[in-house]
Amino acid sequence: MGEHDIFPCLREWMSEMDVSLAENLRRWAENEVMAKRLELKEDYQALLEPAIHKLFLEIGLQRLLWPEEHGGDGHNTPAAALTVTAALEQVARGDVGIALFLSSLFALQSAVALEGAVNGEACAALQEKIAGKDAPALVSLVLPLYRGEPQAKAKGGKGGWTVEAASARPLAGGGNGNLFGVLCRLEGSEDGVALLVIPGESKGVQRGEALKRTGLAADRSAAVEFAKVKVPEGMCVARGEEACRGVLSWLYLGISASNVGALFASYEILREWGDNRVIKGRGNIFKENPLTASVMAEVAKETSLCRLLTWNLARVLSDPDLYGPPGAEANYVTALMVAHQVSQSAEKAINNAMEMMASAGYAKEWNLERYWRDVKTMQSCLGPYELAKMDMSRYFYRASSL
Amino acid sequence: MRTIDDFTRPLEYLSPLDDPLGMIVREWAETYVIPNRRRFDEDWKDHRLIEPAFKRLMGELGLQRVLFPEDLGGWGLGRSNYAGTSSYRLFEEVARADSGMAVAFGVVFWPLVMICMEPHVNRELCEEFAPIFCSTTEPRFAANAMTEPQGGADIENMEIVKGSTIQTTAVLDGDEWVINGHKLWPTNSGGVCNLFGVVCTTNPGSEDPNDFAFIFVPADTPGVTQGPPYEKAGMAADKNGDIWFENVRVPKHYRAHGPGLDLMYFKEVITFGNLGSIAFVGGSMMNVYERLYQFVNQETYRGKPLKEHDAVAGVLADIAKDIEIIRIVGYQYARMIDRPDLYGPRWGEEMVAKGRAYKYWACDRAMEDVGKAMNLMSLYGADRDWDVEKHWRDLKIVQLWMGGKQLCQAEVARWFFECQTL
Repeated sequence: MGEHDIFPCLREWMSEMDVSLAENLRRWAENEVMAKRLELKEDYQALLEPAIHKLFLEIGLQRLLWPEEHGGDGHNTPAAALTVTAALEQVARGDVGIALFLSSLFALQSAVALEGAVNGEACAALQEKIAGKDAPALVSLVLPLYRGEPQAKAKGGKGGWTVEAASARPLAGGGNGNLFGVLCRLEGSEDGVALLVIPGESKGVQRGEALKRTGLAADRSAAVEFAKVKVPEGMCVARGEEACRGVLSWLYLGISASNVGALFASYEILREWGDNRVIKGRGNIFKENPLTASVMAEVAKETSLCRLLTWNLARVLSDPDLYGPPGAEANYVTALMVAHQVSQSAEKAINNAMEMMASAGYAKEWNLERYWRDVKTMQSCLGPYELAKMDMSRYFYRASSL
Repeated sequence: MRTIDDFTRPLEYLSPLDDPLGMIVREWAETYVIPNRRRFDEDWKDHRLIEPAFKRLMGELGLQRVLFPEDLGGWGLGRSNYAGTSSYRLFEEVARADSGMAVAFGVVFWPLVMICMEPHVNRELCEEFAPIFCSTTEPRFAANAMTEPQGGADIENMEIVKGSTIQTTAVLDGDEWVINGHKLWPTNSGGVCNLFGVVCTTNPGSEDPNDFAFIFVPADTPGVTQGPPYEKAGMAADKNGDIWFENVRVPKHYRAHGPGLDLMYFKEVITFGNLGSIAFVGGSMMNVYERLYQFVNQETYRGKPLKEHDAVAGVLADIAKDIEIIRIVGYQYARMIDRPDLYGPRWGEEMVAKGRAYKYWACDRAMEDVGKAMNLMSLYGADRDWDVEKHWRDLKIVQLWMGGKQLCQAEVARWFFECQTL
């Protein structure tokens, strides 16, 4: 049985295309990543580059949400939130770092490409990067650290913006991203904040030394300096708090779905272990022991609940007529809560799975530890939970000074 | 400014040498380990960076000799009333810098506990093996070869399987044991071991305690093959691998004590494993505290240091509280080890069960706390430059070894609730 049959995913909300895409991506994950892991154990990063190329360009996932008139596949209705969820679950099952890059890309696209609110100028400006066939569009988002002040500021001028940030820290891709999505404080503007897109090769973009991190091998992390980088007006893809929150809501959906994918992979690894491992002497299969079965149940429970939550969030974002825009405070807070809950649950469940496998849990040969490191690293993109809770309390309790 | 030395230690329990020795190890850590440890992950196979630090600690400072009697070149810790508390301090200080080094260092003594600790010193074997460790300034490693492919930590689940799952056999042939079997995962294997303590059975499938045998095997004995090290999530300084014993012949007197006694004293090995694990957790958490202290002072949120935000401070308090309690519990257990006249023999079921309880509790708290620390540090939490993620990866290994949490739970429930069939 595949995970569609085991873990609930609210099938009535999935289109035939979503199901078919998920099946195709499942094969991509198995053929391009999972089957080659042991063979390329010594150089996992090298394995990922052709896998990314195939996924983004040949399969064309980077064009999925992009308008047809700008060279995309035209699946750019809000219902794409469900399609994105189905896709990211499968991609993350293969590799969480790649799924995070896609989550960032989809979040950025959600601001400019969705039907009814297509930003023609921005789509035209980004068409070559996203609908072209030369290089995968690796989006690197620069968001406020600790949920506070943006790391960059932008000043408006004739025909565009000038962006400055001394040593900004993107969520991922500081070293290998080729499209920066930079959330800036707008100087002298009532809009307050905006998300500006900056091509990686722009003059004034300087990348720092590569940083070693816990996980997410697809990501080459680095701090980035934006030294008076000129950005055309059309590259402002979200302006004002609500529009920027909308981008974050989509990002949080992507991170949630990516966690679910990591949970699927962890479940599969644990299931194989439980079927074959013997404890307490001959004939006692691991999964048949009540103590270990209860921990294995926790892994399945968290996986099921995370998937339910994530699909519900996708449903909220997929129907703005019913639930309001993705950047509405209610939807943003829901997305934030779901992302933190799913992230914490994934951390807990994979911790449990590792406990079951003891030394095999932390041996690279069994692959489980990779998902554990990746999920924890991706959690850092959400910022501190304690500070996220301030956003939640502001909304639910109308706290005004937090 | 607060430091790690502000966390409580039960001062009345400590040896007069505790602080001087602790400071020597701390200076070693600051000089030989902490400046290099961010490159240890890539050094997991070759140990080019790690080996010199081991040489200094174990060979030149001589800490690999501590358990042997003084007249054999050792420091006599095996005969001291402070073996538990002194070990705890040493392990904690090493683990503050690198818990992979701490376990590799600690496991040198693990098989030697069987023969160097009062009241069951095996003088003949001490004399035989002391030169390996005491007559050199090069680092020398020992390992306990316990885990087997078919059942992992089942070997350590003595109360229920009673040695019946051990498939490594020892057959007496004249004045020699002939050993055959395959072991996995021992710390200090992967090609570095000099002396193995091998868990064997003299009668496969038997639950008779007399058939459990703990036999020493020098690593250069013909028929011993060490495989290459495994690649793991962390603890690059600790090498683990496969070991094959094929018709390995060692003298009859290399068996630690003999029928019945081998199994009895082997449980003391588990006790020291629990003590070491708690100390590794405590030491790592000390360094997490140091790094986190710097971070929350340096980084700001809305114009103030992170630590001045009330909600963040709540999490910091939880972390500090757990470090404080882990240290107190760890030293308490060390004290119990030092006073068998008050707390019972180190190999008793009570000591093993209580050690399991403290170990898995400390591991659980530490994993949760370091996870929270990483989360507070946002994107920097997963950066190697801040060291906290290294401790997170390493501590997970401490949590999972020696049978992991579930074996701990079984032993704790078995003793406290007198379960009969667990």
